This record gives sequence, structure tokens and C-alpha cells, in this order.
Amino acid sequence: MTCREAGPLLHARLDNELDMAGSASVDVHLSDCRACAAQYQALQNLHEEIVAADLAYAPGIALERKLADRFLREEKPRLRSWSWIWLNASVMAGVAIAAVVLIAFIPMLRVNSSDAISAEILDNHLRALQAVHQVDVPSSDQHTVKPWFQGKTSFSPPVPDLTQDGFVLVGGRLEVIHQQPAAAIVYRRRQHVIDLYVSSSTGGDSKIELSELGGYHLLHWRQNNMSYWAVSDVDATDLRTFADLIRAR
Amino acid sequence: MDTKVRFFELTMWPHMRAAYNLARWLVRNDQDAEDIVQESFLKAFKAQESFRGSEAKTWMLAIVRNTAMDFRRRFKAGLAVPLGEQGYEPEDDSPDPESALVAESRREQVRQAISHLAPEFREAIVLREIEGLSYREMASALGIPMGTVMSRLSRARNLLLVELGGVKEVQHDLP
Repeated sequence: MTCREAGPLLHARLDNELDMAGSASVDVHLSDCRACAAQYQALQNLHEEIVAADLAYAPGIALERKLADRFLREEKPRLRSWSWIWLNASVMAGVAIAAVVLIAFIPMLRVNSSDAISAEILDNHLRALQAVHQVDVPSSDQHTVKPWFQGKTSFSPPVPDLTQDGFVLVGGRLEVIHQQPAAAIVYRRRQHVIDLYVSSSTGGDSKIELSELGGYHLLHWRQNNMSYWAVSDVDATDLRTFADLIRAR
Repeated sequence: MDTKVRFFELTMWPHMRAAYNLARWLVRNDQDAEDIVQESFLKAFKAQESFRGSEAKTWMLAIVRNTAMDFRRRFKAGLAVPLGEQGYEPEDDSPDPESALVAESRREQVRQAISHLAPEFREAIVLREIEGLSYREMASALGIPMGTVMSRLSRARNLLLVELGGVKEVQHDLP
């Protein structure tokens, strides 16, 4: 092999684009020719330098959200259709009747008020999904959303940036849940909206409880004198991952 | 799930970062790169019937690349700077202050050197060295034969070596 022949093959050798025989003949030439060996070394250094420089540009969250909104939102399941809402209402009515039956016939059983709150949370979530404005403070920046709640709630809700984990912050809004002011922090997982409701609580810390209502998943837990509800139609595993991330902050 | 949504989630979305990276390197500013990615995604979404299970990544990158080239033609026609003999062209957006601050760093030198390459050399370096595409994938994404991929890549690397003060022109022994 001459240097003229080897020249273009140095790149293919470096890029692992040669078969074994081709690589072997280039290697033989490199062991014989100091000039080509130096050139190969320089190319290899350049390659390593570019890779180490980590020069990929990452898209901003705004672009991700624009694309998700554009391609996923209009294709969303027909949440807004009345038949669906009636179906959902009947499911909730069923739950309510079941609760009444339980209270009436098993008076010894202490019914946890959290069932009523579950229904209220889900109602609130559905109402927000149907509203034009899902958030009072639309921002993907945790440092905008978190201070917005100051003075509006007596507690400071956690607003972690979970973009790396696939949960994009959409914003926040103020709600009243069970006559208590609550912070609703809105995240998006692909086309699914996740509402995280946070209110103050006097109970001690608790584990995560999962419940399911009309195709929606609800997770509830208490931590650091705050009561948390996460609700979404995202699948239960994703919602659990989300809850674990919030709890870890 | 809706098949269109599935197509978006499985075929397009996973290559969003690569699409943005290529667009950003080709047009060299954030806003234009975002516009190009959005336009490319719209084109891809509309053209999904014609997607025949080839490599999704190279398919997406080909669309991004063509959109970026159209963009350059449309908006830069009057401003086009003839390519110098070296294959370099000046950067058309004003230098951002952050870049100026760290201009001394080696990483920034490497970034600048790639950024100043002519588009056909720049895209070859970006796809090979940053996105890690094979020659076959590059040929598919760029719509050029493998031989052309190899010659552009080798020319691009030699330009970078000279620019970055690596080995200068190598004097070969006569065979």
C-alpha cells in the first residue's frame, strides 16, 4: 500500500468502516510509514478532542413543549366529550353511593375522609383540563413558579425541575381543596397532564397510597407537614415514578 | 392509541435532540434552529405515509437538513458569502458575549473551528463526530454517495487539523 492509497483509508480505519482485511493492510502501512502514522495519530486526537468537547446543542424546554402541544394535544383522547363526562360522573356517583352504603350499613367502620377528597381532587383536575387556562402562572422555570405561591399559601410547595426525568413543568395555579388553600403544580409527561396538589397537613408522614377512579390514577401521601395528591391519566408506574421524585426533593 | 400519535412518539420524538443539534449547527442560531425543527417535524408528520420503515433517525435528519438548506437559500440569498478557498465562511450571527468570555478555552476553539467550516464539511463533522452516524447513515441523511461522504469527511478533518494547529500538511515519503 502506498501513502496515496492509504490517505483516504485512514479516515475509514478511524471510523471503523473497514473490514478486517482492509484494517489489517492499513495497519501494516501505518507500522511502516511514520508520516501516515503521525497523520493517523493527529486524526485520532482530533476525533477524541471533538467527542470530549461534547458539542451537541440541546433543545430548550419551550421547543419540546411546542412540539408536544402541536402533535399530541389535538390527538388527545376525547376528554371534552359530554358522554365521557357523564360516564365519569356516573363512576363517581357509583363511588359516592358505595360510600353512603358503607356509612349506612357498617357504622363501626371509620370511613376516611380521604375518599371524598379523592373525588374532589379528580373533579378539580378534570375541570382544569377542560379550562382554557390550566395554570395561573405558566412557566417551565421552577424559580418563577415557586415564588409565585409566596403569600398565597402558608406553606412553600416543592417545585422541582424534573425535565431530565421526562416530567416537564408547565406552571402552577391556586386551588381550594376541602376548604383549604392548595397549590396545584402542573407537569406534563408526553401528552399527559399531571396535577400535583399540595396543602398543609397536621398528620404525620405517610406512605404513598394509590387509588384509581374513572381511568385516572391518584397518589396520596403526607410528608413534612404537607399533604400531597398527584393525579393524572398517565399510567400508574409513571405516576409512581413522579411521586418518588417529588418525595426525594 | 392513535396511530398518528404513535408515529410521532416512536419515529419522530426520539430524534428530536439530534434534529435540533443538526439544525443548530447548520443555521448557527437558536431561534432559526427551533423554527427549522418545527417545520421539519410538520413535514415529517405530513409525510408519514411515505415513511417505509427505513432508519427513522436518518429519515428525520434528512428532512431537517433539507429544511435548513432551504432556509439558508430563502433568507440568506442576498447575504450569501462566497466560500473561501479554505472552505471556511464567516459566522453570520454576532458573537455572543458568553462565547467571547471563554474564547480562550480549547473547547470553544474546537466549536468555532467546526462552526466556521463550509456547510457541507460542517454537516459531515457534526453527523460523524457528534451524532456518531456511520458512513451509510450519513450517505442516507445527506443524500450523497458513500464516496462523497468519505471525501467530505476527510477534507473537513484536514481543515480542522490546520485550523486547530494540529499536524500541518504532512510530507509523505515518495512511494
